Amino acid sequence: MTANGKGVSLRLENCAKTYPGGIQVLSPMTLEIARGETVVLLGPSGCGKTTTLRIIAGLIQPDHGGRVLFDGVDVTSVPIEKRNVGMVFQSYALFPNMTVAGNIGYGLKIRHVPKAERRKRVDAMMQLVGIDTLHDRRVDQLSGGQRQRVALARAVACQPRVLLLDEPLTALDASLRDRLRTDLNQLFRSLGITTIYVTHDQGEAMALGDRIVVMTKGTIAQVGTPDEIYFRPANRFVAEFIGAANILEGPLQSEVMLLPGGQLHIDGGRTGDTAVAMVRPEAIGIVSPDGASWTGRIQTKIFLGDRLRLTVAEAATSAIVVDASNRLVVQVGDRVGLTVPNGSVRLLTS
Amino acid sequence: MNRSTEVAQTIVAQISDPHIKRPGEVAYGVIDTAQALGRCVQFLNSLVPKPDIVVVSGDIADSGRDEEYRHFQELMAPLVIPFVILPGNHDDRAAIRRSFPAAADLRSEGPLNAVMRLDHLVLVLLDSSVPGEPHGFLGSDTLAWLDVRLCEDAESPALIFLHHPPFVTGIRHMDVQNLRNADALAEVVARHERVRLVAAGHVHRAAFTLFAGVPAVIAPGISHAVALDLDPAGLPAFRLETPGLYLHIWTRGDVTGQLVSHALPIGMFDGPYPFFDAEGRLR
Repeated sequence: MTANGKGVSLRLENCAKTYPGGIQVLSPMTLEIARGETVVLLGPSGCGKTTTLRIIAGLIQPDHGGRVLFDGVDVTSVPIEKRNVGMVFQSYALFPNMTVAGNIGYGLKIRHVPKAERRKRVDAMMQLVGIDTLHDRRVDQLSGGQRQRVALARAVACQPRVLLLDEPLTALDASLRDRLRTDLNQLFRSLGITTIYVTHDQGEAMALGDRIVVMTKGTIAQVGTPDEIYFRPANRFVAEFIGAANILEGPLQSEVMLLPGGQLHIDGGRTGDTAVAMVRPEAIGIVSPDGASWTGRIQTKIFLGDRLRLTVAEAATSAIVVDASNRLVVQVGDRVGLTVPNGSVRLLTS
Repeated sequence: MNRSTEVAQTIVAQISDPHIKRPGEVAYGVIDTAQALGRCVQFLNSLVPKPDIVVVSGDIADSGRDEEYRHFQELMAPLVIPFVILPGNHDDRAAIRRSFPAAADLRSEGPLNAVMRLDHLVLVLLDSSVPGEPHGFLGSDTLAWLDVRLCEDAESPALIFLHHPPFVTGIRHMDVQNLRNADALAEVVARHERVRLVAAGHVHRAAFTLFAGVPAVIAPGISHAVALDLDPAGLPAFRLETPGLYLHIWTRGDVTGQLVSHALPIGMFDGPYPFFDAEGRLR
């Protein structure tokens, strides 16, 4: 296979899933994914992300009326072995008595790909995922990260039109996960295959997705680039699920929200009843309380190395979190002024 | 076997109850289980065509020790066919996780269930072991997991493997260790027409029945057999009968395809002798 522009465009049309007994785990969803794009399905357990992945794979059928299209062709009733998708699961059972090359080539062997072609493709895959020196090594002699690459190479060796990954890093320890996340990102770019990646880890989603589909309770909460999802969450669920978020509630008067600790300017705010807004901890600045329009009192202070994490009481109806410079000199109990640059507060629908 | 039929087939070898001890030890004071597994591996390697996969249906180790799993791996190393394992009552989940880091399901606790696809065929491996107990039981999480896996990709035939038989054999001292909640498994199996076989181990002897309307088998042991004693008061005993294994062969057909299971004795036997001479006459 060549490196770029492989795979298909994908369209889920009105795909819902109801299990016997009437439990609907996925509400009707429509989603477009471009050829070569990496899309992350992100959400807490039970949000419908794995169901969506399994519908794309052909492992389960959407409810009547739902359609799955690959490059505009309806594949809804095409079984998994004919859809040509590559899958990598959290449980990536490899064969312990086979070599790395034997494991990667197994799917091709089962599909009766001739030996010479098999060898060529296995070699190419091993090079691509950076394990070409491990050809004859047994998989039990590999590190967790190397095994993950073998599983990935095995999935890609069959030249899938779509690559599907279901929480592939969840079982690994944190430092390895961080490293593999970076590797996976590079790998997805070089493969150029349309990739759907399921995770409950927002860090992974941010690092890997061209776009993120945030899901909750069987519905899509928001679709957007990592940047959009983080800075412009569509609703309270997304704001709180992605990163740390301060949720502020108070009455709005024109572009000003009235809070226990003073006033906060909100672009686009309109006079009305209680509004809900979100501001990220790193967007809040600590200044002198003198003359500040919004103030609070330092309740806790934790030095995190790269930053100082403060909780500030009396500023809003509940304590807010502020990530300040690691050089800031403040004490618990200090009264401080709080500033937020224009555009950093986002009004939310709850 | 000609090429066209070979292409249409998936061959799953089932071997069961190796009971591997530490190097140099024999089981029950008599049985060299390591030597038996060595012979079994040699036999599997000699098969033409080769099976696509080998399922080891439990009691990998005799007492669940890390050294025993290491020994098992050394003995399986010459096998040229990939294998998968599931735990039996003599096994230890944690030791399996430690010993087969690439093969075991990576969840750090709970049953070691797995599902895998071989072209058109799906194999489901169930963990019926109950830590510290000889009998089998499938937890509600395993049954729910099975139900969901069987809902997926409903067109593909599925073969279910587990260690503890979900049916009685008449050998009383073994039957009391059976799968205790066979009814619950039957309920799930009956819901899914795609299940074509339920294959167990544990009893070390070939047996056949119908379970929830589906063919069900117990695989022979690869080293020793539990003595066939139908006296309800019979004492637990074993015999060194000819060891054996199964080849479950799925042949794809136009509509549904067909599964046939061959029981093979393990050994190098004289033959094959042709039935007919060079002129086509019966010899």
